[in-house]
Amino acid sequence: MDLSRLDRRIIFLLMGLAIAIPMLFNVTLPVNVEKDTLAVYDKIEMIEESEYVMVSFDFEASSFPEMRPLAVAILNHLFERNIKVIGLALFSEGTALGFTTISDIAEKHGKKYGIDYIYLGFRPQYISAILGMGESIARVFPEDYLKKQWQEYPLFSGLENYDNAGLVISVSDGSLPIHWAEYANARYGVEIGVACAAVMVTAFKPYFNSGQLIGPVAGVKGAAEYEKLLGRQGAAQRRLFTQSSAHILIIVLVLGANLAAYMRRKR
Amino acid sequence: MSPETLVAAVFTLAIFSFLYRENPIYRAAEHILVGISVGYYLVILVEETILSKVVNPLFYDGRMLSLIPAILGIMMFSRLSRKSGWLARIPLAVLIGAGAGVSIPAMLQARILKQMSASMLPLNSIGAVVMLVGVISSLAYFYFSREKSGLFGGVARVGTYFLMVFFGATFGYTVMSRVTLLIGRMEFLMSDFLGLVK
Repeated sequence: MDLSRLDRRIIFLLMGLAIAIPMLFNVTLPVNVEKDTLAVYDKIEMIEESEYVMVSFDFEASSFPEMRPLAVAILNHLFERNIKVIGLALFSEGTALGFTTISDIAEKHGKKYGIDYIYLGFRPQYISAILGMGESIARVFPEDYLKKQWQEYPLFSGLENYDNAGLVISVSDGSLPIHWAEYANARYGVEIGVACAAVMVTAFKPYFNSGQLIGPVAGVKGAAEYEKLLGRQGAAQRRLFTQSSAHILIIVLVLGANLAAYMRRKR
Repeated sequence: MSPETLVAAVFTLAIFSFLYRENPIYRAAEHILVGISVGYYLVILVEETILSKVVNPLFYDGRMLSLIPAILGIMMFSRLSRKSGWLARIPLAVLIGAGAGVSIPAMLQARILKQMSASMLPLNSIGAVVMLVGVISSLAYFYFSREKSGLFGGVARVGTYFLMVFFGATFGYTVMSRVTLLIGRMEFLMSDFLGLVK
């Protein structure tokens, strides 16, 4: 059989089956926690309860299936440790998704808006927003997502700039963490943790090695590792079996196609 | 099943129908997506830029300085006229000047100085040696002012192998990301829509 003439729809069908069938079985694969994921976890463990952590939802709707397990794992950790969370979004599409995610997780932990967390919403021009918050968060975000003066919440009234934030975590599907490193870390010295789409890992790697960024917790595997560290079984660990099945199919197809091409050339 | 789940499932299936062949249902779903996205961006940007940066400061807070960026912004539209198109150069000059002033020191610090210092490691491990060879040979590959022959050509060729490793790793991670997105949609169809998975 000449694989080069295989109808691409058969490949789509195989991929659909490779994902749908494992989903029917509740199989959880063992997960080894890597040092990159551990770096973000350890950093959050070191943060005092009185400190704030900023979580920036820097993603678009199209990557939500990959971003949500990451955001959920990080928020679970922050709320479990009773750390005050400040949510914001630097991509317009992430605004509502970020608010829904943070509200859902906060509710599960019995956390209250304005006491345990606030959500600042979206600001366009991310470079100006990142730089501006280094001087005054209130000047960049005079109101929160709910159109209230957030400084009126007593527990957040002392929040001025990055000096009050123990960590900024960018949950990102694009290059925003690099801008956080360039403008918030290099200029104001704030530490930046990263939970990102797997596709971005190689682009960020030099920044992790140089200590400009912490992490990354990357993709569904990173989220599964984080869930394991928290001792919670979540969406990411359940997806690993399905993910592995799809990867095996891709490997088989790549090997098969290369073998077929080699045989054809030999003839 | 909630109405929003039904709508989301219908649109997901409409987009998936492209995998079989291009069809009107797919095109309709695609156009609706583009239309909704533009509407969403427009509302957010009007609220977060025009209202919060121009209208509210000027008319409610009396901050007249907001007139300056507002006028500069309006001048951008002069490009639409042949006669007064030159006016757009002024806000562009401000934008490029301010942008360069903000970005150049930050990039120099974050992308060059910090990266250089992170590359200069004591050669006491295999990893550090590999990194040194990788950095030098990759830079040699991107040096185009000399013909790639002899020893220099050999070093540049080693650089291409490092680049291939990078591309391979990036491809692997990309596959992982894209498969996750597909799993997300399939999970929605099989659990929320069909109820086959709990």
